[in-house]
Amino acid sequence: MEGLFFNVNNGYIEGIVRGYRNGLLTGANYTNMTQCETIDDLKLQLGPAYGDFLASLPPNPSTSSLAAKTTDKLVSEFRYVRANAVGSLAKFMDYLTYGYMIDNVALLITGTLHERDTRELLDRCHPLGWFETMPVLCVATNIEELYNSVLIETPLAPYFKGSLSHQDLDELNIEIVRNTLYKNYLEDFYQFVNTNPEMSGTPTAEVMSEILEFEADRRAINITLNSFGTELSKADRKKLYPNFGLLYPEGTLMLSRADDFEGVRLAVEGVSDYKSFFEAAGLGGGPGGPGNMAGGAGSDGRSLEDMFYQKEMEISKGAFTRQFTFAIIYAWVKLREQEIRNITWIAECIAQNQKERIGNYISVF
Amino acid sequence: MSGAADREAVFPTRQSLGLMKAKLKGAETGHSLLKRKSEALTKRFRDITRRIDEAKRKMGRVMQIASLSLAEVTYAVGGNIGYQIQESAKSARFRIRAKQENVSGVLLPAFESYLTEGNNDFAMTGLGKGGQQVQRCRETYARAVEALVELASLQTAFVILDEVIKVVNRRVNAIEHVIIPRTENTIKYINSELDELDREEFYRLKKVANKKQRDNAALDAEMKVKREAAAARDQENQAPAEATEESGDILAAEEDEDVIF
Repeated sequence: MEGLFFNVNNGYIEGIVRGYRNGLLTGANYTNMTQCETIDDLKLQLGPAYGDFLASLPPNPSTSSLAAKTTDKLVSEFRYVRANAVGSLAKFMDYLTYGYMIDNVALLITGTLHERDTRELLDRCHPLGWFETMPVLCVATNIEELYNSVLIETPLAPYFKGSLSHQDLDELNIEIVRNTLYKNYLEDFYQFVNTNPEMSGTPTAEVMSEILEFEADRRAINITLNSFGTELSKADRKKLYPNFGLLYPEGTLMLSRADDFEGVRLAVEGVSDYKSFFEAAGLGGGPGGPGNMAGGAGSDGRSLEDMFYQKEMEISKGAFTRQFTFAIIYAWVKLREQEIRNITWIAECIAQNQKERIGNYISVF
Repeated sequence: MSGAADREAVFPTRQSLGLMKAKLKGAETGHSLLKRKSEALTKRFRDITRRIDEAKRKMGRVMQIASLSLAEVTYAVGGNIGYQIQESAKSARFRIRAKQENVSGVLLPAFESYLTEGNNDFAMTGLGKGGQQVQRCRETYARAVEALVELASLQTAFVILDEVIKVVNRRVNAIEHVIIPRTENTIKYINSELDELDREEFYRLKKVANKKQRDNAALDAEMKVKREAAAARDQENQAPAEATEESGDILAAEEDEDVIF
């Protein structure tokens, strides 16, 4: 049934996005890229996919400018799709940008806390997380004003409300603020895809639930692993775990009690995917905790992070096997982000002449 | 002779000869001491050069690893966290202490690095994702900075030692090629002047002696003539004035005897 009227409003968008998906770099492209000797060669290889955007770069551009230009392409395509979206698809795409918005707001909060000129920070904000009233936030000079303007001006207000007060912004570490917001965001997004009448019960809800559950689990695991050795207490940590996901509730409870890498491994035992990740990471000398691994020594055996990215890409790739779903837009954005990361990584390896690790990119096509 | 020009302006006296000899001795002692100092410094210098070479190579490697780990962070976090890191860093975790090391009288600064414990300003950065990479990157960069600090102290020592070695070598050369030859020349000059004076004096004395001898001979001859004349007169006068004449004779003879000394 859901397919019956889907194309009336969203067929064009789906077609466009599927077209974009075909424009993603394939394994063969990546192999060609890894053979490059200079950034210019790389630029040439990227020509078919990114030609227009890379044209303005000077010869031998820096990797950061390369990353910026490739991001520009994603942003312009995203904006085009967003401009053509209507109804709940538009809402869905707005939800997609909230994640970036959280990062931007966190950046502005950091700037305001340290009494910097936040106007300079606007350039550093992620363009996908841009919202029209963002410059208004820069007017705020103290954290209370900022808090109020965030509540009024941004779509993030519900995430602040109820879990964070303006004193919290002052006292808590910005990372905790960010992760609290992100937790609320994920929960809200999950709620949205599963309750919206246009989406619940459709493939969108199915695929998005899978993606968001994975995202929630990944965050929970990462937060746990990264909090070892910091002043983040277990009770506070527990508050940052999203209230859904494959691990929820037993796994999250166990995660909140975990003291070390081993504890986390036990907590995720119940989910076979994560279990295999941990086994692979555990064998490879494992990121048992921050600083356990000597820098640069982790060339063999991929890190947990890499495997999570790989998994995310596979889920995203899988999303394209479904039709009549909004999830392909989410999947496309994620795939493009990974592609940008891959390009940056390869460019970085070429620029630094560190070819032995150049194959660390993740390619699913 | 060139030595004539290159000597100190002193009067060739015995006193200045003594002074010069003392000076020469001092210069020689100073020369050997400075030579030893220069050798010690050069040894140290070579050692430092070797260590700088090692440190530079190490720095190259470490910096490469460090920048790669930064790339890893960018990859894992998927964005720019530079600003966040800058803002959350409150106090220095990696500090250095300056010490002084004494190498044969030269003070070389040495920097010693240490980590302040429990200072983890951005431990929570990348909590959601990439935290491990951030921490690892920090460790690698701490190591890179350590290598830089080591290199910095070596480089400073290198520059200072270079300067000092130049000065010391200049001094050694100056003593060896200027001061010692000049002092030796001066001593030679004083000696030759003194010898000259001696010879002059001797010649003069000889001349005086000769003259005295000549005078004596003339006097003697005169006396002889006188005496002969007196004897002839005696024989003419015979006995009457014999006693008085004899005493007068004795006085005259005594007058002639005080020439030689």
